[in-house]
Amino acid sequence: MNGLGFLAQLDPKSFFNAAPKSNELYMKVGLGLFIGFAIIGICLGAPVQMRNRIVGFFTFLAGLPYVLYTFFPLPIARGKEDAPSGPVENLSFIVKDSIGAIGDLGSILAAFILLLGVISLFRYHLIKVAKQQKDWGYSVVLIVSLLSISYFGYADWLMRQDSKLSPLIEAGPEQWKFVNYGKDLLFDGMLQIMDGAMFSIIAFYILSAAYRAFRLRSIEATVLLFSAFIMMLSLLGGISLPFDNFMNEHGLGMFTLKEIAGWMRVNLQGPAIRGIDFGVGLGLVAMGLRIWLNLEKTGGSN
Amino acid sequence: MGIGAQYADTGWFGVLFTAIVVGCILFNIRRAKSGVDLHIRRIAGLNAIDEAVGRATEMGRPVVMVPGLSDTINAKSMQALNIFQHVSRTAAKFANPILVCCYNATIYATASEMIRDAYQQEGAGDKYDPDSVRFISDRQFAFAAGVSGLILREKAAAAFFMGEFYAESLIFAETANSIGAIQVASSTELTQIPFFVAACDYVLIGDEFYAAGAYLTKQPVLIGSLIGQDWNKLLIAAFLVLAVIGNSIQMFGGKVTYAYSDDDETWATVPERPMKKSETFFGHLVNPKPDKKVQKETIKREKYADKDKPGSLTPEEAAKL
Repeated sequence: MNGLGFLAQLDPKSFFNAAPKSNELYMKVGLGLFIGFAIIGICLGAPVQMRNRIVGFFTFLAGLPYVLYTFFPLPIARGKEDAPSGPVENLSFIVKDSIGAIGDLGSILAAFILLLGVISLFRYHLIKVAKQQKDWGYSVVLIVSLLSISYFGYADWLMRQDSKLSPLIEAGPEQWKFVNYGKDLLFDGMLQIMDGAMFSIIAFYILSAAYRAFRLRSIEATVLLFSAFIMMLSLLGGISLPFDNFMNEHGLGMFTLKEIAGWMRVNLQGPAIRGIDFGVGLGLVAMGLRIWLNLEKTGGSN
Repeated sequence: MGIGAQYADTGWFGVLFTAIVVGCILFNIRRAKSGVDLHIRRIAGLNAIDEAVGRATEMGRPVVMVPGLSDTINAKSMQALNIFQHVSRTAAKFANPILVCCYNATIYATASEMIRDAYQQEGAGDKYDPDSVRFISDRQFAFAAGVSGLILREKAAAAFFMGEFYAESLIFAETANSIGAIQVASSTELTQIPFFVAACDYVLIGDEFYAAGAYLTKQPVLIGSLIGQDWNKLLIAAFLVLAVIGNSIQMFGGKVTYAYSDDDETWATVPERPMKKSETFFGHLVNPKPDKKVQKETIKREKYADKDKPGSLTPEEAAKL
């Protein structure tokens, strides 16, 4: 069970963990599953009006350790054998230990939900292929790609977990098996290349978007055009260097392209970005607070 | 090491500031809930939401919505979905097709529920198509390619891009523009706002994105929290003005003869010199000095020395420590 070797690296001191293969670990796993199923049962069995409150309660519970982690005094320089002294320190130890466990819980939930996403993707494209709807050929490509990269990726990963095979695979293609070639072709040979191709398209889109944005349509667009023009010139060494040298030689060092562009960055762009940052940060706090305290009516109706 | 020493590191100001921010927001939510009439100004970009859906209805073409590329469901993607729920409600009224493209499976699961809710609230549950909310891919450029393909193939009449966007923002915006779709966008990523401004018809900048829910739904809780944010902005602005004045007075008027040395970690007399920005009252307030002794102790204790490994100590040795 090499795949579970990571368990041995975890710190068994935490309340949320136990030594690998120990009875304590099995008991905690069992208890975790029981609590999980109990919560699902309560949610399903509760009246519809109550569900929002139940979800709100668990949202609050899940968020509380993060709030405490940020604001409650945490132990500093805690040694591996340190035991808490007093209720405050006890809580602070629990909070610090629980953060990792809650993060893991989130990852487990995300993994289950990923299954939902993949099922949805499959269902949609299988129906499309079965009914031979418009562009069903693309759906065939998608299904074949999804299945093949899942197979080759997982088989390759399993081989790399083997301590004997892993160095051989890492050494080079001479020792590769069919699945290693398959994974290399699909991932490095195709997916990465296609990612790069999509990314490179942005260069052309920037050009067309800039053309539309910088047309002299209004006062704002004119200001934008003017400032972008100065900024571009300041970055073009072939133009900015001779121009700046000329200005410096004539005692106009304050008006070099480098100076003007720098002034615009520091005095115009910087404060504007900070202003937006303040707004975004405050909005995020308000939104987080409403979700955490379940203040917002779901559905957002009038 | 003592409990509470973390405040020696980070300073009490951050905690106090957070308490004020939270207090203002909760107080205004309470005010709004108690029936106080709080006025909020309308933003042009929000009028465009209904305009875009109306246009899509007239043309009989779908509305495409992308709730960003968050790695998991978070406050930004939830806000985007709240806005999309409003859009879906309007679309449901006019039986207009919609398409929500999700980057992440958790967002997909949440979006499916929220959009279905919106249709049911409008009494159009039977018109809801489960395939209108789709999980595309959780790989950035695969997602960009998938969404662009959908926009082109479905000939979307309106496109909404809201939430976290990165390099792919311009791919979406330019693709939608190429087929003449009206675009309303908002990104919380500062680096992407200029791209959206250049390429989209309407852009919600910064906190307008978070304000949108209040404008669209008129829920007292949302309006109250928006007013709370405005109070906080005023407080920050006042603090900045005060800090500028305070710093200016101290830096131009004060002379330092006794200063703290970071190297020696001691206070000592120094030749008279003007005060640095980091030595002013406000400089100390927002940038407290880290406690180097605590830092050193933390690094020392967190190194996995043999004696610290779990189970390597006898109870007597552990008691001595």
